[in-house]
Amino acid sequence: MPTGTHTNGRIAAVSAQGLTKRYRLGEHRGLMLTLQRWLNNSGAYHNRRDELGQRFAALSDVNFTCYSGEAIGIVGTNGSGKSTLLQIMAGTTLPSDGEMRVRGHVVPLLAVGLGFHPELTGRENVRLFAAALGIPSVATEGRMDAVTAFSELDQHMDTPVKRYSSGMLSRLSFGIAMQLPAEIYAFDEVLAVADGEFKLRCLDAIDGLHKSGRTVMFVSHDLDLVADVCHRVMWLEKGTLREFGPAAQVLESYQREHAGPTS
Amino acid sequence: MTTELQADRYLDATGLAPVETSAERVIRPAKRRLRLRDLLREGPVIRVVAARDFRVKYKQSLLGPIWLVVQPLALLIGFLIAFRGLADVQTVDVPYLPFALVGLSVWAFFQAAMMVGTLSLIAASTYIRFTPCPRPAFPIASVTASLPAFGVTALGALVAAAAWGCLSPRALLIPIGLVWLFVLTVGIVAISSSVAVRYRDIVNVLPLLLQVGLFVAPVGYPLTELSTKIRTIVELNPLTGIMEGLRWMVLSGYDPSLTAIGLSVGGTALIAFGGWQLFSRLEPTMADDI
Repeated sequence: MPTGTHTNGRIAAVSAQGLTKRYRLGEHRGLMLTLQRWLNNSGAYHNRRDELGQRFAALSDVNFTCYSGEAIGIVGTNGSGKSTLLQIMAGTTLPSDGEMRVRGHVVPLLAVGLGFHPELTGRENVRLFAAALGIPSVATEGRMDAVTAFSELDQHMDTPVKRYSSGMLSRLSFGIAMQLPAEIYAFDEVLAVADGEFKLRCLDAIDGLHKSGRTVMFVSHDLDLVADVCHRVMWLEKGTLREFGPAAQVLESYQREHAGPTS
Repeated sequence: MTTELQADRYLDATGLAPVETSAERVIRPAKRRLRLRDLLREGPVIRVVAARDFRVKYKQSLLGPIWLVVQPLALLIGFLIAFRGLADVQTVDVPYLPFALVGLSVWAFFQAAMMVGTLSLIAASTYIRFTPCPRPAFPIASVTASLPAFGVTALGALVAAAAWGCLSPRALLIPIGLVWLFVLTVGIVAISSSVAVRYRDIVNVLPLLLQVGLFVAPVGYPLTELSTKIRTIVELNPLTGIMEGLRWMVLSGYDPSLTAIGLSVGGTALIAFGGWQLFSRLEPTMADDI
């Protein structure tokens, strides 16, 4: 076991050191600008370049450590860097600076119905999604019944998903996300679309995940839900980690600031 | 980009993975993160995506895979009118029909692969933004799913060659020609698909390029009908060498252009290398650019 991964006997599942992600503002430089640069070396182009060269930090110098078995909530206003954090953790994009250490396999559910191909059946889409995550097909087939049962789509698994209702799509998404094997699960504002009874079942499943030693990263604007699900909460603001601690404490200060002076 | 996974680890009913033993990944800024050996591990993903590409192509289609025959057949009829009816193009030592069918098998495959392959990453944008899917799998799968386009027309060429009594035993070498064609096409699609992520222009240019390409390759006419200058230009097209090579394999008595074959072997190596370099360089920012 490499050093530095244990703290008080706990295993670091996800940690970040100086994590920074910058995006370019605006569109990619078009052909017309490149032409302008060639034709005249002055004025217009340079001004535009300064404007386009500006970069926007979606995350700047974020540091944290999450341990396995924890459910971590991530709160913050739009554009605070929550989704970027999960994208880096899932491995879809790289940071511009700093590093993140991730122990184990991540099942990301960063959007409902993501990547489902409308012409393929529910079952075929499960296979496709699992394959994209690098899960061996023998493991996927082993979990297929569990996915079907969880999403309650028994009769519909062989129907093209273009005939699914939006509720069925979200149930399939969750079935996949909760029942595929991994060490780390990431949910980005996806429970919002689940209805009453199904939502409860998802919350139960999330409970089961972290109780069995898996790590759950949970982004939501629904603070009551975050309070229900998560042990600790990260509060991101404009790309920086404003506060990270016990759920009740962080949510209270977050609410105090966002409720405004009138309430 | 994908962690090592052992299948047996997931076989117990709970699906529980032992957290203590799982490997730690360090995610850092990098210009490149793909390694060539990643491609070998992507076999299963490529298979699933290729199966999807192929199935989706003919779902809710009345004729289904019959289109594989109709497309090259339509081109062949066009050739017969243009090159035989109007221009009276003559092939040396081999009959025209099997000659044209070999060229068409290469072209049908290349065209199908380019059309689907160039858009493959854009079409998978939700996967690319939200999952750590192996990105090379999408263009490679598109090219793989286009293989039936080659197979059907090549079969037609073999039957025609046999019917005209000019089928060569060298036809057993076709798999070598196919691997060559596959590598070249994957190289070109790697370039076009990764550039299309950032610059959509390529989507507009592609149909134009393919239309011109059909006439800058000896699909429906032999190199011997060209003037030296134009012949040199056509021989520079890496598809030309592959068509010449395949014709030498299928048709007995065919005298291929060794210049074109040499240029194509070199060109294929260059394009495959360049395609890999460009793709792996653009890959880390695909989720941001798409």
